[in-house]
Amino acid sequence: MAEQSLTKSILKKGVIGIVVGVILVVVARATHFPEVFQFMFFLYAMLGALVFILLDAPAMPRLEGAKAVVGLIVFYGLLSGAYIGGASILPQYDPEIEKGKIDKVLKRRKAMTKQGKADELIARAKELNDRAAYLEKQLASLGGGAKVVVEEAAAPAAASGDLVALGKEQWELQECYNCHKLFGQGGKKRGPVLDNIGNLMTPEQLREKILDPKSWMAEGFDKPYKKGKMPDKYKDLMFDEEIDALVAFLATLKDASVNTPKPIKMK
Amino acid sequence: MTLRRSFLIMTGFLLAGATAAYAQIPDAPQIDFPYAGNRTGVWIVAQLHILFAAFILGAPIFAVVSEWIGYKNQDPKYDRLAKEVIKVTVILYSMTALTGGLFIFVLLATYPDFTTWLIKHFFLIFAIIYPLLFILETIILYTYFYSWDSMKGGKKARHIALGVLLNIVGTVTLFAIDGPTSFMNTPAKAVEGLSLVEYIQTAGLWEKMANFSWMPLNLHRLVGNVTFGGFIAGLIAAYMYMGSKTDEDRSYYDWMGFVGNMIGVGALLLLPFMGYLLAYELCDYDASICPYMMADQLSMFFEMQGAMVGLVFLASNYYIWLSMRRIQGVEQVRMSGMVMIAVLLIPAVMGLAWKLFPPPEWQSLLFLAALVVLPPILSRLPGLRFTISAFTMIKVGFLMIVVADAIWMTPHGFVATQAMATEHNELPSWASELALMPAKNAAAFTLVFLTIVNYILYNRAIRQGTIIWGKIDFASQFVLIFLAFSAIWTMGLMGTVRSLTRKYFHVYNLVPDFTTEAFTPTLTYSAWWITGVTIVFFAVVSFAIMVTLRPGSGQKSSAPQGVPVPAGGK
Repeated sequence: MAEQSLTKSILKKGVIGIVVGVILVVVARATHFPEVFQFMFFLYAMLGALVFILLDAPAMPRLEGAKAVVGLIVFYGLLSGAYIGGASILPQYDPEIEKGKIDKVLKRRKAMTKQGKADELIARAKELNDRAAYLEKQLASLGGGAKVVVEEAAAPAAASGDLVALGKEQWELQECYNCHKLFGQGGKKRGPVLDNIGNLMTPEQLREKILDPKSWMAEGFDKPYKKGKMPDKYKDLMFDEEIDALVAFLATLKDASVNTPKPIKMK
Repeated sequence: MTLRRSFLIMTGFLLAGATAAYAQIPDAPQIDFPYAGNRTGVWIVAQLHILFAAFILGAPIFAVVSEWIGYKNQDPKYDRLAKEVIKVTVILYSMTALTGGLFIFVLLATYPDFTTWLIKHFFLIFAIIYPLLFILETIILYTYFYSWDSMKGGKKARHIALGVLLNIVGTVTLFAIDGPTSFMNTPAKAVEGLSLVEYIQTAGLWEKMANFSWMPLNLHRLVGNVTFGGFIAGLIAAYMYMGSKTDEDRSYYDWMGFVGNMIGVGALLLLPFMGYLLAYELCDYDASICPYMMADQLSMFFEMQGAMVGLVFLASNYYIWLSMRRIQGVEQVRMSGMVMIAVLLIPAVMGLAWKLFPPPEWQSLLFLAALVVLPPILSRLPGLRFTISAFTMIKVGFLMIVVADAIWMTPHGFVATQAMATEHNELPSWASELALMPAKNAAAFTLVFLTIVNYILYNRAIRQGTIIWGKIDFASQFVLIFLAFSAIWTMGLMGTVRSLTRKYFHVYNLVPDFTTEAFTPTLTYSAWWITGVTIVFFAVVSFAIMVTLRPGSGQKSSAPQGVPVPAGGK
């Protein structure tokens, strides 16, 4: 009897869940929700159906002795599987993206530590060793008139890269895009859009703002300014050359078609 | 002269040799934590330690409150409950010390430079205050437990005072160790004219302890520990209920499960707000932490958190539902239909209120007050006096819990970092409010409000009806286990998030982590380890319960049970 009523309840509520789910999907599609959200709304409808099935489910029979122990182990297994599975179906951030960034951000700091200096010496020794081995190989193969070819060491990337490109890299590394919209990307209104900042501030003023966020305020951003939303940390975290590069990049942003808020001198 | 010169040269050689030998202590080998790597190794041990520590701090709060209620109402059930919880606590106390020691060993071996740096900055805490408090706590805990039977009757009040003292010392211990922990997240803000490094080198202990996130972390952990204690009491009750051989024992453990759940849920109601306070302070300290948590690498961790919190609230309310179903006469319990209307309106009204007046602006409180105060007033007006049954009200409540869960779990975009959001995976612009804090706050408030309404209904039911302890649906025991497991899993998840907000720093913005493991792990990887740690913790706790309380051994209950008694009767 109890089994019959449970089956009936599952069927009835399952059908209601599906109907509600389909209605939600249709409405979501009509209102331009992407497919992933439509699927999510359908799942919520089914979750609702499951909740109502459980609410009206008949009482569960007692489990005793070994049955209870097995029941517990299975239950823990199911929970573990559900939580790991649930976490796994969500989008995953690829650590490789971050690793490259972290290496770049910390490279200079690491070079200043004892370990960093030791690593640098080891790397240089290894490089010299490789070159010596290469020369030795060339000498060994010397025949009449053979010429020893000494390859020039590649110039460091930083030296060859132009300042603006390095500044753009700093923009990415310091994750300025999390608060400031630029080229139509990022921002989410936390900080002012900066596409035209090069026309509104001089490089010196930009530098002043980065080093002391309280020195300037963007028009219309009184609340974030008062709350000190722009972190006062770049003077501690960035090297002078990095700030120079970031300033050089920002100074090139001169798209007058974008409404960058007017900077107001505060200090 | 030659002899003297030879002697001097010989002495010089000997000294030089000895100095060289002394200076040439061979370097210690590099440690690589087997299989998991150093960072994950520390993570596993730290999380295990924190779970046991939460147990031994949360359970005594639960126990002393229970003991006090028993003393005040002269109800021996509460005294037995308190004693059983403390029995398990005493066993697990050693596990806390063991994992604590292990934590320090692993930390010193894997991150020696940083660990030494941190210990030196908090030397007074690590070397004197914390050990002293721990020893004091140990003495009080054992005295509290072993004097239980001898301090009865007239001495009971003194015994309860000892329990209160135990909790005070425990709380101070928690606050003390939270200093260095929170310092790693929010060291300090540099004062004018000094860099952060310069400031920290000159700052005193108190300046480093009383950092931005210290008090929010203290409050969050304190409330979390009470929740923990309640749900663990529920877990103990569920095991014991399953193993009970007599109606008497079943009645007692059914009741114990109810009390554990009530305390757990009571504290759980505060947790979202405590978590919000901690997140608020982290963001206030450095606004770039906020997008990292909510919109960047950790955004899907918060998606998972939303799912977990939703499940915990669903389960705790389902337990109330199962508890109510066995109350005779519950059909007569009714509630004003205006409350139902308020419940249906809450997410929309509070979402709008917090959008117009974001916290801490006081105007949003007016909307809140209106939703709470208006239903009882309006229901007195003629024409609005319609009522609905308790079951209908709870079912509407469940519907709204699902709606609140849906709102909480709706992200701006289904992407691992919102920087990658495109129109194919993000909310349409007209619905973007669903992903913002006002909507999330409204969802959290809805969950809390509904749980309170359900408890009000439950109270009415036990006052008007007759409850038969020991006859609850057996599924309720699995609900209690589910609550304990899920709450602890969520603790693990949020602990992971708090640690990860330091990004690639040991101490945020101050001490960089140059190791190759200083990146944000994937949610899947984290979920595996969190689950593993939770399972190990449960295995140990289950063992401790089996050893100390021996389910099925048929211990004598000190109160007559197993017969119908008026609900709320002692």
